[in-house]
Formats: sequence, structure tokens, C-alpha cells
Amino acid sequence: MIDRLTTALQRSRADYTEIRVERTWSTAVTFRGRRLESATASEDQGGFVRALHAGGGWGVASFTSLDRLETMVARAGELSRAVTVDPPIRLADIPPRRADAELDLDGDVRGVALADKKRLIEAYNGVMLAVSDRIVDTLASYRDEVSEYWYVNSQGTALHELRPEVTLSGTAVARRDGTIEKGVESIGLRRGWRSMQNREPGFRAVAERAVALLDAPMVHGGTYPVILDPELAGVFIHEAFGHLSEADFVYENPQAREMMTLGRRFGKPVLNVGDNGAAPGLRGTLPFDDEGTPTQDTALIREGILVGRLHSRETAAAMGERPTGNARALSFRHPPIVRMTNTYIANGTGTFDDLIRDIQLGVYACGAFGGQTMLENFSFTAAYGRMIRDGRVAELVKDVVLAGNLFRTLDRIDHIAGDFRWNQMGGGCGKAGQVPLPVTEGAPHVRIEEALIGGDVPG
Amino acid sequence: MIERLLEVARRRADGGADALWRRVERTSVAFEWGRLKAAGVAEEAGANLRVRHRGRVGIAGTTADVAPDELVSRALASAALGEEIELAFPARGPLAKIATFFDRAADARLDDLIAMGRSLLGRLEREGCQVNVSIERESADVRVANTAGAAGDYRSTGVAVSADVWRIAGDDVLAVGDAAEGADLPGDEVLARLAATINTRLDHALRIVGPPDGALPVVFTPAGLSPLMLPVTQALSGKAVLQGISPLGAKVGEQVFDARFSLTDDPLRAGRPSSRPIDDECVASRLTPLVEHGVVRRFIYDLETAARAKTQSTGHGERGIFGKPVPGYTNIVVGDAGDVGAKHPLPPPLGGGLLAAITDGLLVDELIGVGQGNVIGGAFSHPVALAYRIERGEITGRVKDAAVAGNAYELWKRVGGFGNDARWAGSRWAPSVLLEGVSVARR
Repeated sequence: MIDRLTTALQRSRADYTEIRVERTWSTAVTFRGRRLESATASEDQGGFVRALHAGGGWGVASFTSLDRLETMVARAGELSRAVTVDPPIRLADIPPRRADAELDLDGDVRGVALADKKRLIEAYNGVMLAVSDRIVDTLASYRDEVSEYWYVNSQGTALHELRPEVTLSGTAVARRDGTIEKGVESIGLRRGWRSMQNREPGFRAVAERAVALLDAPMVHGGTYPVILDPELAGVFIHEAFGHLSEADFVYENPQAREMMTLGRRFGKPVLNVGDNGAAPGLRGTLPFDDEGTPTQDTALIREGILVGRLHSRETAAAMGERPTGNARALSFRHPPIVRMTNTYIANGTGTFDDLIRDIQLGVYACGAFGGQTMLENFSFTAAYGRMIRDGRVAELVKDVVLAGNLFRTLDRIDHIAGDFRWNQMGGGCGKAGQVPLPVTEGAPHVRIEEALIGGDVPG
Repeated sequence: MIERLLEVARRRADGGADALWRRVERTSVAFEWGRLKAAGVAEEAGANLRVRHRGRVGIAGTTADVAPDELVSRALASAALGEEIELAFPARGPLAKIATFFDRAADARLDDLIAMGRSLLGRLEREGCQVNVSIERESADVRVANTAGAAGDYRSTGVAVSADVWRIAGDDVLAVGDAAEGADLPGDEVLARLAATINTRLDHALRIVGPPDGALPVVFTPAGLSPLMLPVTQALSGKAVLQGISPLGAKVGEQVFDARFSLTDDPLRAGRPSSRPIDDECVASRLTPLVEHGVVRRFIYDLETAARAKTQSTGHGERGIFGKPVPGYTNIVVGDAGDVGAKHPLPPPLGGGLLAAITDGLLVDELIGVGQGNVIGGAFSHPVALAYRIERGEITGRVKDAAVAGNAYELWKRVGGFGNDARWAGSRWAPSVLLEGVSVARR
């Protein structure tokens, strides 16, 4: 395949051309309640070409029929010529790389029978259903894929990879009369079949929590000291800060560039944030991004100060900075754009108890049902919460929504514990119609001196 | 193409089969931060097959060149694990004739799309702001067929134009965007209208005012209605009803909403990109009244959900190349169908004429986090992304640091008024709506 792609490259008349081809085998098994909803195997394949003439715009072409490769290489070149860009698009230099990397398949899922996958997820689903009569509905999914990936560009890079991915997810719905609560378990790894075994405790825990939430009061809305658990802290740093550190947001927008000037203070000296596409075994991990740039650990905030951002070759050249290996594409249907990989708040010091010891009344917000950032404002729905009273974790509360202004909230992070962990969840990140892109987030427990918790908003 | 697939499936699956084949071509241009940056084409073709064998249903999909025998084998392997479903493939029936394909859209050249983008850009440029514009034209060929003799094929076109204007002043980030979608190529009046709606909302947003507080009258714009519509559309899906999680599941025939609230799904609406003569499971498309004058009438179903619920498909089977069909809406119409098609030369004023009677309230165009949490339950609580304060009948400025909360089912019981500004927001046709007693909180 690499030879075929290289030959096609040689016919391109553009100044820069790259070709990606992907072939993906995937299976998915879903249970809803006691019923198998579906068990399917799919095969997806296609290619992507991106071409650039000096002074032109990006010409891009994607296709599912590989017979069209040569035609689409020519078409991408024509499209680039049809667009004039001034000042011209430039790409930061990276050394050409040739690599044939097989990620650890960890038990190749392609060798496992669909019936075995069904049995596995059926068992996890059964664990949730067995927790209580109050569990009225469940949704349990197993999904795996292996993607064979080829990438070449006209500067001499040629890559071939086998990329595995597996995800398990479970939702337990508990109901009593008109009250409905849920618990969600999600595991996602860039590994294989072996990593999906012995996951019963997580499924049991979310079902138990859904039942417990039936009796939990709604959190009383207001301003509190708030502790984020590592999962919610990770989602928070990804959504509320990470997207602003993507250089395509700032590189051609002078006002945004000013807002995100390196050296600006974003938080107290306890705050260190980064993005590490090279951390082993995580969903956001790959040896190279989709422009052939090696992935790396990029510091974004160091001791409260903005020190870096995430780049593609284009944004790096435009800002006079170095590519960071963050140009990623969801699939052959999409161009690479600046994306996060594995984003984290770095470890602090001390324990969880140190964080809550001096809190008289606060909220411990755990897990994430969802989060959205819009501009400098964000809103996150925690899976559940616990009140903190007199320095101790107290009763379970529900409907914990954390909302606020990014800049003010980051600045109010005053204590970070030393209990870092990666949240190896499924799902993924969405941007510019490319969703779900596999990413991971990680953090220790994080304390915000004061944040708005909206449960019921008083009328 | 799918005929061969069905031929093989008929031989090997004792309960029949159906299949969908879709080929899509897309051309797009993107202006980033005011500059034309990229042009692209995409071609995609694939097939999705469903078989029923020994009472069990299986699915397989592919974009690769997979031999019919192999794809049927995969679907049978999927069926072997499945549960039994009394799923019957529909017989051939008459199809409505609707225009889904427009030559002008299909024939538009790259230069035409670029010119449209430039024209829109020119209307949106302003000092201190950055503009993104994207234009996408799609043409598709779809064929669906089953072993019971039903079949349908159609070609369709769609053009989506979207733009957003960004203004960053210090740490105040403001983005105002809008989109126009249609099956045909938009004329200049559509672009002018799109620019005017963005510019109007931007003009009003430049001044920041303090938010109000309390239980207040709130006007939701057609785009801002999502937190009120999502719970209702989720609850009207036959799938939610079947799972027992729909608050409307047992309410057919009951007056649940304000008598002026009606909701219809209309797959035959002229000129809409979601319109189609037949659904993705060979069921003929037809109008489905969901709520009439506040009374719940029916839910939407695909074949499988209908079979499980012991009812008929309403023609809402939606199917991709991968995975199995699911019930999905086409064009959702809020209000009386008679409103549809009303055309204004210029966009009506923000608020659709509903602001005059409001002494102190809010106009909501976009909230943050819509769709998170327990949506179907109806309760929502969201910070505002784009909202304006209304004082003595006038918009006085943009509100930041406020949150809006309520319960969709409760709020729809007493509608203060429907605006005269009905329009398409994505695939939903709705006017602005005034709701009383919505919780607004300062932060």
C-alpha cells in the first residue's frame, strides 16, 4: 500500500501533498435491559488527500473507493489552485519519518468471536440489573476496532500503523414512582480484548449509585468551596481550558491571540496543565499525529502561567512556534485539525483529606454526565455529589451542575492533591463536526475556593 | 447493487431482508477568520443490510468492496446472536411525489459557492470582529429495497450555509452565528436575510447589561427553543415509550400542553434537505401529527420499535451505513402548519413581536449545555450563551452571568404567546415563544 500511495504522490503537481488511507474493522454489541439490541460487525475503508500549491488554499478530497485514488490526488491539487490565500499558508518543518508501528494489540479483537463479545457485555449488563429491583433499564455496550493506517506525504514521511481501540459503557437507570436517576460507567483504551476483562466492580458501582440517588436530595444551589474528583477535574480542564489552547482558535484572530498571550497568568502557582499524546496505552495516544509529527508532552500552564499551546504544522508556522503533534483527524472523511490528546492537570501534593479539612460547608462533585464550554463560560453536570460538612464527606446529593466563568474559576483553584489518575473513559471529544475523537483526561482531586453550584435555581 | 445483495439474502435468510445503499458527494468551501482557506470534495458510498433468519434479526454494513455473499454471512452471524422479533418487511405502496433534487444545487460550480461565501462575508465584516463562513453542497443517491417487493430510490440535494462572527474584547468573548439550509441553492435574499439576523443580534449584544432575577417572562427565539423542544421530541419517540422512560408514554389523547401548541413531523416538506418520499426501511413517507392543540396524538416508530410495541411504523426509520435503523425525526413543525411558507422580505425584529408587553424579562437565543443530563425528564438549568434583557418592551443589551431554569412540560402548559417570526432552525420550524414564570438567576 505504501508503494501505491507513494506512486500516487509522485503524480501530484502540488507543492505539498499528503495521503491517508484507513481500513477499519469494528464490532459492536449493545444490550438494553435484558434484551440484545444489536450485535454487528462493520468494515469501513477510505482515503483522504490534502494538497497545497504555493499561494493556494488547502485542497482536500476524501473517498471510499480506492480506485479513485489517482483521480482524487489530481482533484485535491485543482481545488488548492482554485483558492488563493494571502499571506500564503506555510507549514512548520518536521523531519521526514518512516515508521512501521504496531501498537500493542493486547489480544487482537479480530480473533475473538462475536458470541464471546456478546457474553462479556451480557455479563456486565447482568451485574447492573442484579443490583436492585429499582434498576428498571440498562444500556450496556461493547465496541472494538482495529484500524490499519497508512500515511505518506511528499516530504518523505511514510507511516504504517495498526491502531486498536476498545470501549465498554454501561448506563443503569433506577426509578421509583416519578423519580428517575442514572449511573454511567465508561471505559476506553487503546488496547484490546484482554483489557476488557474483570470489569464487574465498575458496572456494579454505577447501578448502586443510581439506586442511592433515588433517595438523595437535590443539591441546594449556591456558592461553595468545591472539590472536583479526578474525573470531573479532567473533563473540566479539557473542556474549559483545553479548547482555548488549540492554536487554530488564536492563530489568525488578533483578539484571541491577545487573550491567550504566553506569559499570562491563568491560575495560582499550584496549577500545572499539559497535553501528552505520547503517554502509553491511553485513547489519545499515538506515535504520530495525522501530519506525521511525533506526539509529545506539551506544557500548557506552568505554575499558573500560560507557557504553551497545541499546534498543527500550519498554526505553528503562522505563530513562529514548534509543531506539537496535535493535528488529528477523526477518520479519512476529515482533514487534520488541532485537537487535544491526553490532557491533564499535573499532580500536586497532599491527600484528599488535606483538601477538605478546613471546609465547613462545601460540595464534592464527582464524575461527569456532560460538559459544555461556550466561549469563556462553561457548564458541567456532575454524575453525583456529596456535601462536605465540617471537614468531612457527608450526604449524597444529586443534580450537581457546576457553572461559571473560565478565567475566574481557574484562578480560584487553590489546592491540588497528589493523587493523580488518568480517566480511561470511552466517548470522545467533538470539534468542527469531528466527533467522537478518542481523548483521555487526567487529574488529581482539585479544590476550587468558590464556585457556583446550580441545582435548582431559586425562582 | 442492492438487488444482488437481496437476491443472495433471500436464498440464505428464511425471514427476508432489506437493504439501503447510499452514495453521497459533497463539495465544501471554508472561510476562516475572514479568509478563504480551503476547498474540498468528498465521495462516499456504502450499503447496510438487515436479514431476518429463524425469527432473529441481524445487521451488517460496509463501505468496502465486500462480496454480497460475505456481507450476507456477516448479517447472518449478527442475527444468530439476536433475539426474536416479529419484524415484517413492508410491501410495495404508493409514494408521494416530492422534489428532493434541484439541478441548480447539483450543478453549482466551486466558483459559485466561493462567490456566495464572499458575498456573505462582505455583509458581515465589521471593525474588531472576525468572521467564519462555510458552505457545503451535497448530492446523494439513495436506494432502499426489501424482499417483500417494496423499493424506492431518489436523488437529493442539500446546501448548508453557515456563518459566525466573533468579537473578543479583553476577556469578553462574543460569538453570534446562524445557518441556512435548504435542498436548493439559496438565492441572494436568503444570504441577505442570514446576514441581517446575525447583524441584528450582534448590534444588540455590544452593550452588556446586568441580568434580571426571579420568575420572569422569557422569550425563546426559534434557535433558542432547543431546551424546551428536546424533552418533548425525546418523549414522543416510540423507543422512549417502549422503554418506559417517556413522561408522555401514557398520555395519548390527553391535553398535556397549551391548546395553541401543536407539533408535526413532515417528511414531505418542499425544499427541505431532510425531506424524502420513503424512509430508510421502505415505508412511504407521510405527515405525522404528534401533538394537536395541546393533545398528544402519537409517537414516531421505525419497523423494529413498532414491532416490539405492536403497532405500525410511522415511516421514521433512519439508517446509516453502519448499525441498525433507529426512529428519527425529519422536519419538525411547531405551531399550525398554515404558518409554513410565510416569507418575509427581511427578518422580523428580534423577539417576533412578543416583547412589547414585557416590563422586565429575558430574550434567550442560546443556552450552554443543552442536551446534558436527564433531558427527557423535562427539568433544565443552563447558563446563558447569548441572551438579552428586555425592559419596558425593548431590548436593552446582552446579559452575561445568568442562568435559566424550568421544566419544559410545565412551561408548555401556559404559553404567553407565539411570535410572528417562524423560521427553520436546523430541521425545526418554529416561531419565538413567550413563556411566563421562567426562573432566571444572576450569578
